Amino acid sequence: MDAYIIKAYRTAVGKAPRGLFRHMRADDLGANVIRHIMNELPGLDPERIDDVIVGNATPEAEQGLNLGRMVSLMGLDSDKVPGMTVNRYCSSGLETIAIASAKIHSGMADCIIAGGIETMTPIPFGGWRLVPNAHVSKEHPTWYWGMGLTAEAVARDYKVSREDQDAFALESHRRAAEAIDNGRFKEGIVPIEVTEVFVKDDKRQERTYTVDTDEGVRRGGTLEALGKLRPVFDAKGTVTAGNASQTSDGAAFTMVVSERMLKELGVEPIAQLKSYKVAGLDPRVMGMGPLYAVPDAIKSAGLKKSDIGLYELNEAFASQSLAVIRELDLDPSIVNVNGGAIALGHPLGCTGTKLSVQLFSEMRARKEKYGIVTMCVGTGQGAAGVFELMN
Amino acid sequence: MKRIINKVAVLGSGVMGSRIACHFANIGVEVLLLDIVPRELDPAEAKKGLTLDHPAVRNRLVNAALEAALKSNPSPIYSKSFISLIETGNFEDDMHRIAECDWIIEVVVERLDIKQVVFEKVEKYRKPGTLITSNTSGIPINMLIEGRSEDFISHFCGSHFFNPPRYLKLLEIIPSAKTDQEVIDFLMDYGARFLGKKTVLCKDTPAFIANRVGVFGIQALFHLVEEMDLSIEEVDKLTGPAMGRPKSATFRTCDVVGLDTLIHVANGVRENCPKDERSEVFAIPGYVQHLADNKWLGSKSGQGFYKKAKAADGSPEILVFDIKTKAYRSQNKVKFATLEAAKAVDALAPRTKVLYKGKDKAGEFYRRSFHALFSYVSNRIPEISDELYRIDDALKAGFGWELGAFETWDAVGVAEGLKATLAEGLKVSPWVQDMLDKGITSFYRVNEGQREYYDLTSHTYKVIPGQDQTISLANISDDKVLWKNSGTTVKDLGDGILNLEFHTKMNTIGSEVLQGLNKAMDMAEKDYRGLVISNEGQNFSAGANVGMIFMMAVEQEFDELDMAVKLFQQTTTRLRHCGVPVIAAPHGLTLGGGCEICLHVDKVIAHAESYIGLVEFGVGLIPGGGGTKEFAVRLADELHEGDIETNQFRNRFLTIGQAKVSTSAQEAFELGYLRQGQDEVVVSREHQLSVAKARCLAMADQGYTSPKPRKDIRVLGSEVLGIVNIGAHSMMSGNYISDHDRIISEKLGFALAGGDLSTPTVVTEKYLLDLERRKFLELCGERKTLERLQSIITTGKVLRN
Repeated sequence: MDAYIIKAYRTAVGKAPRGLFRHMRADDLGANVIRHIMNELPGLDPERIDDVIVGNATPEAEQGLNLGRMVSLMGLDSDKVPGMTVNRYCSSGLETIAIASAKIHSGMADCIIAGGIETMTPIPFGGWRLVPNAHVSKEHPTWYWGMGLTAEAVARDYKVSREDQDAFALESHRRAAEAIDNGRFKEGIVPIEVTEVFVKDDKRQERTYTVDTDEGVRRGGTLEALGKLRPVFDAKGTVTAGNASQTSDGAAFTMVVSERMLKELGVEPIAQLKSYKVAGLDPRVMGMGPLYAVPDAIKSAGLKKSDIGLYELNEAFASQSLAVIRELDLDPSIVNVNGGAIALGHPLGCTGTKLSVQLFSEMRARKEKYGIVTMCVGTGQGAAGVFELMN
Repeated sequence: MKRIINKVAVLGSGVMGSRIACHFANIGVEVLLLDIVPRELDPAEAKKGLTLDHPAVRNRLVNAALEAALKSNPSPIYSKSFISLIETGNFEDDMHRIAECDWIIEVVVERLDIKQVVFEKVEKYRKPGTLITSNTSGIPINMLIEGRSEDFISHFCGSHFFNPPRYLKLLEIIPSAKTDQEVIDFLMDYGARFLGKKTVLCKDTPAFIANRVGVFGIQALFHLVEEMDLSIEEVDKLTGPAMGRPKSATFRTCDVVGLDTLIHVANGVRENCPKDERSEVFAIPGYVQHLADNKWLGSKSGQGFYKKAKAADGSPEILVFDIKTKAYRSQNKVKFATLEAAKAVDALAPRTKVLYKGKDKAGEFYRRSFHALFSYVSNRIPEISDELYRIDDALKAGFGWELGAFETWDAVGVAEGLKATLAEGLKVSPWVQDMLDKGITSFYRVNEGQREYYDLTSHTYKVIPGQDQTISLANISDDKVLWKNSGTTVKDLGDGILNLEFHTKMNTIGSEVLQGLNKAMDMAEKDYRGLVISNEGQNFSAGANVGMIFMMAVEQEFDELDMAVKLFQQTTTRLRHCGVPVIAAPHGLTLGGGCEICLHVDKVIAHAESYIGLVEFGVGLIPGGGGTKEFAVRLADELHEGDIETNQFRNRFLTIGQAKVSTSAQEAFELGYLRQGQDEVVVSREHQLSVAKARCLAMADQGYTSPKPRKDIRVLGSEVLGIVNIGAHSMMSGNYISDHDRIISEKLGFALAGGDLSTPTVVTEKYLLDLERRKFLELCGERKTLERLQSIITTGKVLRN
């Protein structure tokens, strides 16, 4: 049975750890998006929803306690809908759409809320307590490498220069700023009201503000300014804070339904996930994951590369983005047309869903039939999903 | 009247004001730092749309000045955590708040009219009885109090700090004739005990004491360079550590201070002291004026007597100003036979005599400069001070001289110095001859453990006041020296407390020091009540003597090396378990083995300027005298249920792994070298030993039972080894550390984790000491560790290989 995406929304992306969502918990952020989706489907009894599947790359602390189940309870006003949390690092948010589609396809479910949430503000990268296996750490230290070092390895292995990385980063910001100015993200973003409780002059105070625009874009940046930044992961390296993705807070959700449910609800479908593939590779060069996942996914969808009209390639780092674009021989003019994670941020587990939301809007605007969301994934993986836009 | 200083107001936030504010924050006092309101918006403020009414604009100058001070190096603040004690404001909006303050210090521009306007405002808000002082360096105190109220005048004094106030020890206190004695006494004591300064009581004479004599000395050298056809680098070589003065010597010091400041003082003396018999010395020589005219004032203008440049090969080079060609050139190597001869003499006083007797040009230089100084200081009594020791105190504390003018004279012999000075045609005040005539042959002497000075009015020796509050090891009489070997001395401090003093080169710790420590503990356990470990060298200890370790490692005598390291461990362990209380009182560099001694005693009474660290990493080792073990113990003790243990482990690991050295004793608490609630900080170096002794005595009085060997140390085992290995590998892959650093890191992590235990496990101190020693010895077998040791031994430099 075919599965259809009928709703797709995201929050704006805030900077972490000192951005607009720093006073917002992950579960509250996610529940807000789910409520927004439910408000648009007044005819849907929440109890008809089979599951809530939430992607999250650091499911602990504020994001622990089975975040998926918590946002189901918080967002659906019902205790009858279960929930689970899925972690495949940076592709978690795409993985959840794939799981939902597959379950519906196999007849195991009719209606699933699938998405991703990540607030990187309160939780350190990798989690609060890193305990790598002692003997694996000796035998295979690169398996545990930080992502920055893998980006340096990609830059070296694939000869991506500092200048090219900085130019790529600058272009990402330029495109993102233009997209925001032209309202390209508007229809996909759920405005979120944030309430901050704080102390001023020894007194409890409250203030409320609305977040509806991505926060990470830097306007008026220059190559010269980017060129002055020091490498962060390797003293002799090329990867800087300026040409790497930003740490972020954000949430995004889709509703995936069966054909039966689609008819019952009488809504127009947005898109279908035609295929989803995950690949493994040497963790030392994890950034090259899309190199394997993308051709696999295109093939599995029964398509050719030339059928794909638009890509959302997660910009974990400019070095790996450029290496992937070059190695896959992609047309840069159809990759990240509205900028990428370097400018807009990368809320790890949310990213897969968030990029899908952006892809759908842009495919609609460009009247493209097929588009791909792809990303590299920590510890040597890559993921890619091929979407078909429904009319 | 008893005074408690909770809060001070510092008026004026320039270089001195902001740093004085920091130093008060250092000792825990709240500070209100005020300065003027800017007249115009700066471009950034204008762009933001701020107006002149905005608080950020109104406090811009004071905030910028404080920020600049806090960023400066060396830091004016003991620890960043103290910054919050300083509140900033401006003269217009916040002056009324000086009513909250117990002491108001004026540090505005050196202009009488401006100071008077500020004092006018102070009068309006100052609570009666509040201390009010001025940091003026040149304006007579008498002029500053003109027109002021009676209460203001009786509580007013000059309080002249020297830059940088945290580090330079001198604080001149200059009362007017109408200052209350209580105020003077308070400031003299507070400055010493609380602020850690050498307080010197001055008369209200131009430039007071330190600048009057110090600038005379510099000016005299300015002229002597020309007269003797010497070069700037020659004079700096001659007037540096060789004669017990700072490395920056004469001209480099001028660059740091700023030539304009110096000329300002010199001109002031020339104008205001017409009767000064050496007035002509204060005239600025042509080459100095040339620098000033070109605004080559020193560090602040990028060049002065010296100038940083790049050599042809691109390496940095410091050029020197050639007084003949008036151009900068490369420095020439300085060599004098006298300097070579003096090298062999360690103690400063006899070395000074060697310099003075030199037969070459250097000898002549020393004689001429000493004679000028002898003559000048003799004639300054009683003009600038009635007591000669105050002049020496001011020179030593203000300019970092190890010997004052009269002490130098004592070193060369008063009679001999007098004769030679007179023979040069210089005038010496008759009281010196009088003194000799009375059979008194030195300006100072030590009598019954106290230092005395020759008093001109009574013609006898008098005790230098304040010594009842302090203990000086140097002045302890010979009969209190109980035991001695080549590297240490045990002295009786009285009341049943012993002191063990190191006096090896750089106070490094070798077998003679270990023997001394054990001997002192034997003696203390047998017949005394407690032991203090302190010394009066430049530094407490630069660490273990690695020469011996290197030799044994090269010879691959690992059994002997094992024994040697074991002895070190046994000695530090014994410090902990000794039957009497043991206190360490470190100051200055307290590194490696010196730090390990402090880690094991019952209590550390640290001087605020203690630079403590486990720096073994630099020589390719891990702490092997119980330091690694002690960090594992402290880690175990500081963990509470629910803590993320790996993070705290990482902090302890990185402290040793990055060889972190505290920039103050306060920071040593943050780095875990000192224990909160157990170890203490004393700001006054002079009071440090007496405080240490008192604490030792108090512990003995309380009924002291030594801590017993620990069997309850929870180590984390292999749980943390992964993060150690990954961290080290990542740092190496990122080109931040070498492969050898990675190896040392892994061994350090292993020892700190208690080895590859499957789960967190409770172990004994002995288990950890054995593990620490094993890893230490493994590193001694590494070629690159030997290269590092060799580098430090032969060049004194840390090799990164």
